[in-house]
Amino acid sequence: MITDMEEELILWHFNNLTFHAKTLTMTWIVIAFMLIFCFLGVRHLTSGKPGKMQNILEWIIDFVRKLISDNMSYEKGRPLLSYLVTLIMFIFFSNMLGLIPNITFNLFEHFGVEAGQLNKIFEGPSLMSPTADVNTTIGLALLSITLVLFLGIKHKGVNYFKHFFEPIPVFFPIHVIDLLSKPMTLAFRLFGNIFAGEVLIKVILKMPESYDIWAFPAALPDTVWLAFSIFIGTIQAFVFTVLTTAYIGQAVTESH
Amino acid sequence: MDILHFDATLVVQIISFLLLVWILGKFAWKPLMNMMEKRRINIENNLIQAQEERQQAEKIKQEYQEEMRQARHEAQDLIARATKVSEERTAEILALAHEESEKIKKAALVDIERERDRAILEVKAQVADLSVAVAEKIIRQKLDMPNQEKLIEQFIQEVGEMPC
Repeated sequence: MITDMEEELILWHFNNLTFHAKTLTMTWIVIAFMLIFCFLGVRHLTSGKPGKMQNILEWIIDFVRKLISDNMSYEKGRPLLSYLVTLIMFIFFSNMLGLIPNITFNLFEHFGVEAGQLNKIFEGPSLMSPTADVNTTIGLALLSITLVLFLGIKHKGVNYFKHFFEPIPVFFPIHVIDLLSKPMTLAFRLFGNIFAGEVLIKVILKMPESYDIWAFPAALPDTVWLAFSIFIGTIQAFVFTVLTTAYIGQAVTESH
Repeated sequence: MDILHFDATLVVQIISFLLLVWILGKFAWKPLMNMMEKRRINIENNLIQAQEERQQAEKIKQEYQEEMRQARHEAQDLIARATKVSEERTAEILALAHEESEKIKKAALVDIERERDRAILEVKAQVADLSVAVAEKIIRQKLDMPNQEKLIEQFIQEVGEMPC
């Protein structure tokens, strides 16, 4: 049946370091897209009647602002706003990228462009979500937990570490596990959801081939799954941001 | 496992993302949020201004109402005063007319009195004249007693037929 699901990992080598070529390329596509998207939004900035793109960006900012003020005093959360807005947009667009069909039509393969293994990067039925690579999600989760620690110490000083020994010092290991599990769950929740979604897309598209039938029957389940993946991608972007906000809120708010 | 392969990609992703945060923060979010803040202040000012204008309008309306009430009051006063004056004037005129009529009546009474006195005087004079004439006739005819009586009767009859 489904035999060749295991994809070969495309690696770039630099000195003795290795990089996931596909993940990095897709990340840069997302970043480029976001830069263009935001540029369009702030091109004609006005405090009067905003244009469509500006409206979208303002809506996102207001949305995240509300998340922040739900979790902590807005004074403390204000510097976080630009980080969290970028985060939710980055994760959202990353999640969506894996649902977009391979718009290069395998042209790199066709013309045999092998520079940087581009032919292998743009291979297969759809593009890839950067968030379907555990390196990306771990990276983002590490940034989140670093922010938690940093802001906790910034707002509470040494007192921040007090909560590790509450209610009694014996609880210290549990608090440490709690702290470590936060980035782990953040990272693997996002990675698992998106990676599984992409695997399932590939499986659905391989289905007619595996059963040796005409390709069209895959269209309906694929459509359904793509629609559901949009939903999942949105939810996961939201969840990641909300949890990051909540963790930071816990760290900076005085508990009595 | 292949899918959980960690390598330097992690570092590149973190750096890329931080770079993205920095760029967007500097060139997109900051100006955008400034603009939103500006709009917020703008709207706030507009609201305050609208509030002030409404208060002003309220004040003007109250002033108008006050003026209206005053004007109505004055008009009522004026009407009341005019009514009073006219009533007084009516009474005055009536009194005057009454007085006048009284005067006329008195004058008429005096006239009547005078006319009557004159008439009486005239009648008296005529009676005197006639008495003289009767006496004259009696004396002239030298009549005996029965004739005398007849004559007197005749004379009285004549007097009755006389216009006086």
